[in-house]
Amino acid sequence: MALIKSKPVASAVEALEEKPSCASLLVQLSDENPEVRRWAARDMLHCEDACEALILRLKIEPELSVREVILTALIHLKSPHSIAGLVDCLRSEDASLRNEALEAMKQLPDLVAPIMVDLLNDQDPDVRIFSVNILESLRHPDVETWLIDVVQKDPHINVCATALDLLSEVGSESALDAIVSIKERFAGEPYIQFAADLAFKRIRES
Amino acid sequence: MSRTALRKSDEITISEEDFNKFREFFYRKTGISFEPSKRYFVDKRLIDRVIATDSENFRSYFIMLRFQASGEELQFLTNAMTVNETYFMREEDQFTCLVDSILPEVMKRKVATGNRLIRIWSIPSSSGEEPYSIAMCLLERWAGIYDWDIEIISSDIDTGILHKAKIGRYSERSIQKLPKAWLNKYFRRIGEEYQIDDDLRGAVEFTRVNLAEPADTRPYRNFDVIFCRNLLIYFDDVSRKTAAECFYDALNPGGFICLGHSESMSRISALFKPRKFPEAVVYQRPLEAR
Repeated sequence: MALIKSKPVASAVEALEEKPSCASLLVQLSDENPEVRRWAARDMLHCEDACEALILRLKIEPELSVREVILTALIHLKSPHSIAGLVDCLRSEDASLRNEALEAMKQLPDLVAPIMVDLLNDQDPDVRIFSVNILESLRHPDVETWLIDVVQKDPHINVCATALDLLSEVGSESALDAIVSIKERFAGEPYIQFAADLAFKRIRES
Repeated sequence: MSRTALRKSDEITISEEDFNKFREFFYRKTGISFEPSKRYFVDKRLIDRVIATDSENFRSYFIMLRFQASGEELQFLTNAMTVNETYFMREEDQFTCLVDSILPEVMKRKVATGNRLIRIWSIPSSSGEEPYSIAMCLLERWAGIYDWDIEIISSDIDTGILHKAKIGRYSERSIQKLPKAWLNKYFRRIGEEYQIDDDLRGAVEFTRVNLAEPADTRPYRNFDVIFCRNLLIYFDDVSRKTAAECFYDALNPGGFICLGHSESMSRISALFKPRKFPEAVVYQRPLEAR
């Protein structure tokens, strides 16, 4: 017993030659072995309709490790279909799936930005809250403008509170008027009063 | 550098658009992301390669780089763009953790299955200091070496540095943290340098791997411990996540991964559980995870 030299690792070329077809990858994406499903998700990036297949699987996939690989694959695909599927996941009853979709969307600022206004005006206040959460780490020059818009217009107190929290971190003097006006709009809501005062103070001091 | 080369390097310019184009391409190919603050570092190496390949300008070089069937130039450029600063017994606490905490747990689990082989993956290998340090620690500090087989595989994206690792010759700077007794036992002095002995060289398998390329990482499986220290800091969030997912599949359930002191898996992926041992915090693929 000692240090031993391993058998040579199979070469990448050999591995590539063994790559299965898109049709078999689709089957493997539902295999009972999670490892097979993970590799199918990684390997199907070049396949037409990969986004649709990955999103469909994501919605029913029970294993965290497979969901993570699917989400990474969707990020790598950088397709509008990825975003559409992830937005759909934001409406899920499954909290883990919603959070995972949200984290993935944060990695796709160029694709999320064009639909952000629509997301922030979604009928479902939960989707609007998630969208504000996405803004938290979305590197985009319009983040503050979007947040100000929410604070000025959104009728839902929890959406506005989330936006105020974020504005207190990323806001500038341009946000102060909106912060003052939301206190009037939600005059009877102590949390909004508190959050608005805090945001105002932090921006003034920064 | 010759006078011709000097004159030529002055003539070649990399515009901001060129830099951004290159940055995007190189990221897609390697997962390595260069911030604008690295502009000087990147430009200098690009210009060197434009000259070395006799390309007329950046544009013609970039076309060649993208479409060369062999991928040879991409490998040359990757070698030039990677940082290979390390030394023996760097962040030694984790080697102590390997011997005193990680391996006893791995052995306990494996003994029940009758499997007496432990596999360790060290990536990036750089010039070999880390995998050879692991080998020496096991030989000198781990009693289990008499009862268990150990395989050490060490990988890097840079073929030049892999060649150096296989040769195993080091400067004074590399060996300064090495115990004197080990230096005398495993090295012989050649001029100003130190040559590692053939037994150790023969004990480590060096391989080329691009962590951003699933076709490269697919064969890497059934490891009990992975050392991946001070590499992920050069990756962006998505590449880090891709690498973490690759390590998940490379590890046996219950296997461990050691990151650099300044790195945290908890910020990269939810797939691993932190394990706080007396010597170091490492990360574990949950035993029950499939």
